Amino acid sequence: MKLGNLIIAGLVTGSIYAVFAVCVAVWYRVCNILNLAVGDFAMVGALGVDNLYRVKGMPLAAAIVTTLAVVGVFAYVYDRIVLRLAQDGPRRMEGIVVTFFFTFALSFFIDGVAKMLFGTDVHAAPALWNGQALTWASLHFERAGLLVLACAIIIGGAFWLYIRYTLGGKALEASGENPIGARIAGIDTRRYRWLIFVGTAVIAAVFGIVESPITGYTYLSGATISLTGFLAAAYGGFRKPGRALLAGLFIGVLEALLGGYVSAEYGDTVLYAILAAAVLAWPRGLGFESAVSG
Amino acid sequence: MTDKQAALNVTGLSVAYGNVVAVHDATFTVAEGDACAITGPNGNGKSSILMGVTGMVRRRGAVEIFGTKAPNGDVRWAARHGLTLVPERRQLYPELSAADNIILGCYCWTRSIGRARRSASFGRAIDLFPELKPHLKQPAGTLSGGQQQMVAIARGLASDPKILAVDEPCLGLAEAVARRVYDVLGSIHEQGTTLIVVEEAPKRALTLCNRRIEVRNGVAGAA
Repeated sequence: MKLGNLIIAGLVTGSIYAVFAVCVAVWYRVCNILNLAVGDFAMVGALGVDNLYRVKGMPLAAAIVTTLAVVGVFAYVYDRIVLRLAQDGPRRMEGIVVTFFFTFALSFFIDGVAKMLFGTDVHAAPALWNGQALTWASLHFERAGLLVLACAIIIGGAFWLYIRYTLGGKALEASGENPIGARIAGIDTRRYRWLIFVGTAVIAAVFGIVESPITGYTYLSGATISLTGFLAAAYGGFRKPGRALLAGLFIGVLEALLGGYVSAEYGDTVLYAILAAAVLAWPRGLGFESAVSG
Repeated sequence: MTDKQAALNVTGLSVAYGNVVAVHDATFTVAEGDACAITGPNGNGKSSILMGVTGMVRRRGAVEIFGTKAPNGDVRWAARHGLTLVPERRQLYPELSAADNIILGCYCWTRSIGRARRSASFGRAIDLFPELKPHLKQPAGTLSGGQQQMVAIARGLASDPKILAVDEPCLGLAEAVARRVYDVLGSIHEQGTTLIVVEEAPKRALTLCNRRIEVRNGVAGAA
């Protein structure tokens, strides 16, 4: 049953990658900006709830609602002030500056504020589903892991359904594919940009709250999370949330299997070697060609 | 002008890109039911007139659609009030299917995909181009130039326009395909939609249009 338990552990880790990959891919699809701060919103979710609940003594539900509200309002204000000027202003910028710079800078800004507010120690939001691990036919399911998996399925499924089956979802896709064509159809691309930015920031914060009891967060954890989401999103060409979700799950399972069967110490090295080889072998199939050519 | 209602009333329209003035003080009226050609050499401001009128670019001057003053730079408002642009170079969404491209034309009047699919305007847009039916699930970017132009016109029709402004509909198309596009524009006009067609070649435009506005160096005048 080692294989089964490794796959379960891999699916939990993979669902973390998957959700952040979906957040990165959906927003990139809307406005062609890579959200390198998505992990920082997760960190703020986890450490914010911990701080309000454990340090300030606020009830857990109130701490969660307050933290999510702060994250949502902050993301909205950032879009209105910075991203709006960068993408819609009279001196709007294009290319790599907009694609990377403004969210990269935001990531550093959030890290700095988080260090002042939460310190440098490892903390986590309180577990939302307490108790012993569940066991079924010698398979072990950590409750926090199941919550993470359930969140990933709900979030990934909701995005998939929205994009595939609603006119709003198709308008969202059109916004990123051709902003001029989207305007012609009366689609407010700016509205989609802030809606998805705020939405994915809050989703990341929720995920941070649910996931942090497993790994624990510091003020620097956001960058690592963003990187894993970024990596999985890259396998979906940054534009295909469904493929990014599958890539995240696959990377998580592969990482767990390599750690369990090859080497716990060098598992990550082998993993990245395999991922790099896959990109070189099938750039078009894995979406990298479209990511480069746009 | 006759006793027909003015569909589009443009007064003192100017469009500039930075310091470059593309359109200077254009004034014209298009009556309901007209088919009006805007002609002139390339680079003289024909497309900029349509861009300014539909709100795709900021403008100076006044635009009225069926007697109501149009806000500056608001494409959605113009589409909701009956004026839809079929732009030069089509501006489709290449990774979305042809059907999705067309149905997004309905976005200016509904958010419900069910209502959009059941609507008369979407049905009319699909029915006008039977040659598109086998390709509706195909990504628009993989269609031929002629098919893409048909998708762009169908997207415009799905918005249920009273005035359809078509910019260079035959750009880069083979003669036979261009004739087909003009046939379709003719039947759209016969069904009661007011047409504005930007064309470099006045001869072709006048096979369809009953009026012509000539644009030279950003200045529009009746021809």
